[in-house]
Parts: sequence; C-alpha cells; structure tokens
Amino acid sequence: MSRLALTRTDAPMIAARVGIGGPVGSGKTALVERLIPALQARGIDIAVITNDLVTAEDAERVRRSGLIDPERVSAVEAGACPHTVIREDPTLNIEAADELERRFPGVELILLESGGDNLASTFSRDLTDFWMFVIDVAGGDDIPRKRGPGVIRADLLVINKVDLAPHVGVDLARMQREAAEVRGGRSVLLTNCRRGEGIDAIVDLLEREVLFRT
Amino acid sequence: MLRLHGIIGRADDKAYARQLHTLKHHGGIELLFVPPADAGRKRFRLTTDRGTDCAVSLDRDEELVDGALLYLEPERAIIARFGEQQVWRLRARDAASALKLGWHAGNLHWRVRFEGDHLVVLLDAPVDNYRARIRPLIESGEVVERRDV
Repeated sequence: MSRLALTRTDAPMIAARVGIGGPVGSGKTALVERLIPALQARGIDIAVITNDLVTAEDAERVRRSGLIDPERVSAVEAGACPHTVIREDPTLNIEAADELERRFPGVELILLESGGDNLASTFSRDLTDFWMFVIDVAGGDDIPRKRGPGVIRADLLVINKVDLAPHVGVDLARMQREAAEVRGGRSVLLTNCRRGEGIDAIVDLLEREVLFRT
Repeated sequence: MLRLHGIIGRADDKAYARQLHTLKHHGGIELLFVPPADAGRKRFRLTTDRGTDCAVSLDRDEELVDGALLYLEPERAIIARFGEQQVWRLRARDAASALKLGWHAGNLHWRVRFEGDHLVVLLDAPVDNYRARIRPLIESGEVVERRDV
C-alpha cells in the first residue's frame, strides 16, 4: 500500500526537463537568459544545459552572465546536427541532466537549450517533459505556414523579437493567428527577449503545466 | 488539482480486480485519456472524463501504458487510457520500392512498426500530411495503401 501514498499531493517532485529549440539566431539563448532570473524570482531552483555543435559557446555565455551559479550550467557538444542529440539519441543530454540532479538534489527545473537547427527539429519525450520552439519575426512571417514539425509539435511556440515586426514588414497579428491555426489552438506566446517582454507568460505556463504549482 | 506520481499497477492486475470491480459498480472509475502523441511523457496535466484536473509525473524509468492505474482509494480510481492510435498501413510493390519507402520513412522520422510485409506508420497528424510526403511513390504504384485504415 506504500505506493498509494504517492498518489496524493505529497508526491515527490523529480526535476522537470524543459527543452528550448529553434532556428539559429531566433533568440534561444536570450530567452534562457531571461527565463533564469524570472524563474529564480518565483523561487524555482534551476539548472541549465546548452547544446552547441563543437564548442561550449552558449554555455560560456550563460556562465559569464552572472545570472546563475556557473556550476549549474552544463555544456553538451553535439558534434553533428543538433537534433541528433535531442531526438535520435539524447543520451548525452539525459546524462548531463542526471548529473545536474545528482549534484543539485533540490533542482526543480532543468532548461535544455538545443543548438540552432531548422524547422524540423523536435525533442524526444525521453529527454524532455515539455519543450518550446522559438522563432522570430525577422525570420519571415511565413514560418508558421511552412508547418515545420518544430512549429507544429512543440508544447509552446514562442515568436520572439516582436519589436522588429514593423521594421521587417511583418504583420504580427496575422503571423500569430496563422501560428495558432497550424497548431490547432495550442499555446503561442510573443516575446521581446531583449526587453524581457512576454517572459512572465512563459513562466506562468511552466508553473502550471510542468511544475504543477498552480 | 490532484497530484499523481508513479504508476501503481495495471487496471487488469488480479490484485486490483475486486476493488476496481466494486468501484465500477459505484461509478468510482475515472478515465484519463492520453493522446498517443503524449504517451511518452513523464509529466503531463490532463483532465479525466469526470473533470478531475490531474497533474501526473512518472519516474524517468517508468513508461505509461494503456490501463495504467494512477490512483486508487476506497471511493475512486483513476486509470490512464490511450486515445486510439491511428495507423497507416503501406505495402511496397517490390524490393526496390521497399528500399525507397524505408528511406523516406527514416528520413521523415516516422514512427513505424512492421506487420509481415506491411510498414505500419503510427500517425501523429492527419494521414494526408503523411501521404503528401510520398505521393509520387503512391501514384506510381510502387507503394500501395491498405484501405482498411
């Protein structure tokens, strides 16, 4: 009967693993840099894994940011197409997450940033509990209409750099509407990571859907 | 919100048969339908057919199965049910066509299983989306769709 007690609200929490994917330059690392303080401000114990092709560039950027204990940032070098280590064989990332959980037993949420990829990039469910796909208006307002698996299947689609829309001739309202249509009404959120706009809405979603706080 | 962690067992386990039978007669069974695309999740939030908001987490080494017993108490049980998995059965005309079909299925990262000489694609989206990817093979007759799906 011991398992019955685990079905109650005192169930132990394993660290949630949240993936962040998207094309090169869409603002994945900038989003991570905004999410770190926003999550910390709500008392959420976090760690970060970044993926790069053959360097630890993004990990070093986050470590040097001063936003988080550098020990809580791990780097995975894919050495190949970024999706290979988040989908086909996510072993390296699973090991990195397991290691962070061992070193920081109280960690509640691990952000896993993929290397920049294309619209077909998706995360394995073996690796992440929830994943978001980041695109940006400067990449073109036709991206949602292209129906890439990353855009379609992600638990959350983030459209970043919304402040640039008028400067690159993008009808943001239409882009958002088309994104919602191709995703069957599932979550689409807008951000301007440079100014921190839209970040709270993402944290709200993570608190509800992943951390079960609300 | 009802927090649930871990799988107690399977609803068809003999160990739970009597209790679940009694609960069924008293309307105490709730079903949590999990979309096939979400079956691999270790953490999800869904609402049962009776409206209970469930926040479910599993250990990393646990796999959710159809019929998993997630909650059991004297007045109520919650059982996971997978929504019916939609599949698309394909048969290649000859070995060369089979190689092409296999190449496409792998390149497109389709989830598949094999049934004799059929390739069975486990669908995560409308079948037309998949058909569009190999339309030339179908139109040329190199690949034939089984019509009973």
